[in-house]
Amino acid sequence: MLGKNKRSITAFSLGLILAMAMYLVPGMTSDAIAKEAFAEQVFAEEAFAKEVLAEEEAAEGEGESEVEWSQDVFYKDWEGNPLKGPVSGFPAPELDESDYNNYEFAPSRMLLWVANQQHLYFGSFVLAVPIFCMLIEFIGIRSKEEDPVMSAKYDRLAHDLMKVSLTAYSWTAILGGVLLFTFITLFPGFFKYMAGIFRPVMHVYALMFLAESGVLYVYYYGWDKMSSDPFLKWVHCSLSVLLNLIGTILMYLANSWATFMQAPGGIDSEGRFLGNIWHVIHSTLWNPVGVHRILGNIVFGGGIVGAYAAYHYLTAKTEEERAHYDWVCYVAMFIAIFGLIPLPFAGYWLMKEVYAFRQQMGITLMGGIMAWLFIIQAVMIGLLFFGANSYLHNGMARVKGSHRYMKYCKYMILLLICCFTMWMTPHTIVMTPAELKAMGGAQHPVVGHFGVMSAKNTAVNLMITTTILCFLLYQKANKKITVPWATVGNCWIAAIFVGAALNIIFLGVYGYFLPANQRVGLSVPQVTTTLTTLFAGTAINISMFKDSESYGDIQWGTQSKVGTYAIFLLAISFTWLMGLMGYIRSAVRLFWHVTEVVRDNSVDAYTLTIGEAGKMLTFNTLFVWVQFVVVFWVGSLTGKKAVAKAPEGVPVPAQQQ
Amino acid sequence: MLPEQHDILFSFIAILFGVFGIFVFGNVIQACREREGLNTTLWGGIFAGFALACFLMTVHMFDLVQADQLAFFFGTYVWVVVLLLLTWGMFFKSNKIESQSPPIIRGMFFWTVVSLSLAGYTNWLPQQRSDPPPKEAAIVGDVTMEEFAEMGRVIIFGAKQVAGQKSIGKGQCPLCHGFDPADHMGRCPNLFGVEKRSHDRVKEERYQNLPMKIGETEPAAGIVKGKYDEIPEEYRRQHGPDELTGEDYIRESMMCPTCYVVEGFGGAGDTKSPMPVIVKPPISLSRVEVNAVIAYLQSKDTPGEFASVTVPLPQDDAGNTGGAIAEVVEEDDGAIFVTGKEDIPTMINKLGCPLCHTIPGIEGAVGELGPKLHEKTNAPNRIKDPNYKGTATNTKEYVRESILNPGAYVVFNEEAGEAFPDGLMPTTFSEQLSVQAMDKLVDFISQTEAPAGS
Repeated sequence: MLGKNKRSITAFSLGLILAMAMYLVPGMTSDAIAKEAFAEQVFAEEAFAKEVLAEEEAAEGEGESEVEWSQDVFYKDWEGNPLKGPVSGFPAPELDESDYNNYEFAPSRMLLWVANQQHLYFGSFVLAVPIFCMLIEFIGIRSKEEDPVMSAKYDRLAHDLMKVSLTAYSWTAILGGVLLFTFITLFPGFFKYMAGIFRPVMHVYALMFLAESGVLYVYYYGWDKMSSDPFLKWVHCSLSVLLNLIGTILMYLANSWATFMQAPGGIDSEGRFLGNIWHVIHSTLWNPVGVHRILGNIVFGGGIVGAYAAYHYLTAKTEEERAHYDWVCYVAMFIAIFGLIPLPFAGYWLMKEVYAFRQQMGITLMGGIMAWLFIIQAVMIGLLFFGANSYLHNGMARVKGSHRYMKYCKYMILLLICCFTMWMTPHTIVMTPAELKAMGGAQHPVVGHFGVMSAKNTAVNLMITTTILCFLLYQKANKKITVPWATVGNCWIAAIFVGAALNIIFLGVYGYFLPANQRVGLSVPQVTTTLTTLFAGTAINISMFKDSESYGDIQWGTQSKVGTYAIFLLAISFTWLMGLMGYIRSAVRLFWHVTEVVRDNSVDAYTLTIGEAGKMLTFNTLFVWVQFVVVFWVGSLTGKKAVAKAPEGVPVPAQQQ
Repeated sequence: MLPEQHDILFSFIAILFGVFGIFVFGNVIQACREREGLNTTLWGGIFAGFALACFLMTVHMFDLVQADQLAFFFGTYVWVVVLLLLTWGMFFKSNKIESQSPPIIRGMFFWTVVSLSLAGYTNWLPQQRSDPPPKEAAIVGDVTMEEFAEMGRVIIFGAKQVAGQKSIGKGQCPLCHGFDPADHMGRCPNLFGVEKRSHDRVKEERYQNLPMKIGETEPAAGIVKGKYDEIPEEYRRQHGPDELTGEDYIRESMMCPTCYVVEGFGGAGDTKSPMPVIVKPPISLSRVEVNAVIAYLQSKDTPGEFASVTVPLPQDDAGNTGGAIAEVVEEDDGAIFVTGKEDIPTMINKLGCPLCHTIPGIEGAVGELGPKLHEKTNAPNRIKDPNYKGTATNTKEYVRESILNPGAYVVFNEEAGEAFPDGLMPTTFSEQLSVQAMDKLVDFISQTEAPAGS
């Protein structure tokens, strides 16, 4: 897809789709089954057996069992009663002033936020890069025989990314240390409780970090040595799979701390550990947060690599360099947008689980004090879609033959603007009594209709569908389709998109006539419709490229400045949005360290105003990018390889059939 | 961030600008050394001056606290940086060196401008800070029913109310419930008129049978429906008639929301309420708190009248075992006091004026329960009004009198065709304002007038 090799397009697309499906689909569909039907039953049976055993022991002994049993705050048995477990820890502490330390220059909460966010940003980057390297190196190996030049180009790209990632990896570890010390020094009471619960997980985490480091160093420093022999090259590529596997486990382990704090399980109402560490790890939000973060990492990593390449594109001195970095921009954006498309669905899943855990928490997010933050999120997502489409439109302009489709861009932008407006319309907002009176209620009589989920689902699905359509047009921009069924194929694509749009709109309107509980269910067919356009549209489109003629090669190195700055905009938006969503997820605990179990009794237990939060998000965004610049600069000090000569007019990605 | 602390964001950007100033100086010196004929002394001197200025301004930023930092940053620092950029551009153009600055600088400014715009957007939206609910504290001494109902109001809406902000207290009720006839939140029933409805509801057939019959136990809450004497002992009613009353219905609705679901507000065919059990986490109201909320709900539709309240006061409650209630936390031992050191908006918001008054110049002060404060123009006319019985002879005296003795003159509401309600405005401001604060407030309000064109 990204080179001349016909197979590579299929391999890359399939790889990404499979990766996405692997993370998303099983998680979404099997979560309830795994958690409720199977795991719960097993756990309940185990607990029941232990309870019986304890009772028997007690009967044989001197009377009462020494083991105290208590009810889990979250897990239930197959009859719906709270699951019981042996009390295996101390109650959650009632924290007071002596459990918190602070500096005079800034509140502890802000310092912890900065330490946490910076570590997460870097962690996200170093987890994402090995995914890219794995895919890119794989494509390079597969295309070596047919196109050695492109293969070398892929290999160089993967190696360069890994070089940057290596410096970032050390940086991530340092930031992790800073975070740990911030916790221990500023929130000792709370950290003591968390360490008591997660003691074994923290040790496993540290050991996994060792394993990650070992594999990473072998993978990077063994690159040249293992490139000479084809078998060793495959072994080397396999190391990247192992690297990703360990990285994912690391992330999931760290996630368990955050998800436990938000929606605890495996403890009783006093915060006492009930003996099953898997319960504590596998709390209700663990899976959706994990999937969401993997997709988020891919998007964020793509954004960083894109910005890195865009910067080098602007500073490039030669045509070869410009062509190379223009191409890298495209690869990075392709990966980022591919991760971006399913991200809202993972977000919906997460919110569904939040509502299932505590409806009140969901309302606080969507209609309470956090509601405005979701409006900001909507604005940011709109910005992302605009940035992505802007890049595609500008990118299309450098493709010969694209004039056939450029005329549709303005209509797509118009549709995006309409959907964006609907998408960012709030349901209810904070109003004065006078404003309420003037409007005749909490909702505006006309605009208020766009504030409900029916309208929002419709809007965001149409935006995603438009982006998919834009991408398909990009794919076929320089293709002269020669297959005999070209007209039929085009009709099918048109029918799929028109039908999808009509279906999405119909379901959205239909939702207004249904009660709320049934209306929620309509999001499933809407999402399915959107995914159908993605998979069916892409499949038909690619099939039509067979034996196609080219209007001409893509003019790499001719990317407009607007397109380049669109990449910058995407990178900033990804960073800011990631911080925003992280803040929302964390802040929804309000005045709890661990929801309903460990109360935050520090002076910083309040929820920030939107303005304060916004300033911190901007600070975190700027601060991390300053660090990225330093890391990239440090990475560039290790010597530059001779630039692999870029092939003359590398064809448009996704058009090599 | 506390007001006396630094602003993290602008301190950081100040550092960036400081580094930028030094970078530009280095860049100019390098350009001069690489080319013949450039006046290194002149250009170097100019940009050294800029670099030094940026450095000193950055250092100065750390001498300031938040509000002053912002004023200095946007009032001075940004303009110096803009001037530096223009001079730098002039240097490039006049010496035909480069057509523009290096990409790293353009990138930095693009990044900074976009990020700051996003921060600006968030500061442009309505600001709402949520404080944690107060912890429980034992009630000291006897309370009156008015005070008790007020405690209930605080549990629902919180102690602090600021105009333009939706208030949510420990009970978190306003998240889903409306309390005024005009509220159409739609998530849960509007609680306007709930006292009257509660008596009728327990007699309705729907209540008797749906979603469960009286006498059945609701598993999630562990409450037997319709049996006030089987409510857990720590919350059980200890007095009153031997039949189900309106009070019991309200209590049951809080302790067992699914025992009865108002039509159209439940899940699974109105058999399951979305409301949390109010005596369990995360709300966890105590007996006294539940009673306080009931007292408020029973009396809120008849301000000043408490005859409909049936719950006992904590001191008269036989079931109260050392009652605890959400503590009303204010700055100093529970009382609001304005010293005069605060700025005007803070003072006015702290006193709660915007809840009832529209006050030009105060953001969010658009209350309509009381007259609009356009005193620069209104006060002289009111003093001349034959109905005026006060003693003020000028605007300032009139304003001072209105604050300390609101009943001296009741303003006629021309839009409604009747006088504003007398007795609504508190008469306790003399205890809440220092002399300095009073003077400051009077000076400000005496100058308020309708916005031009209104």
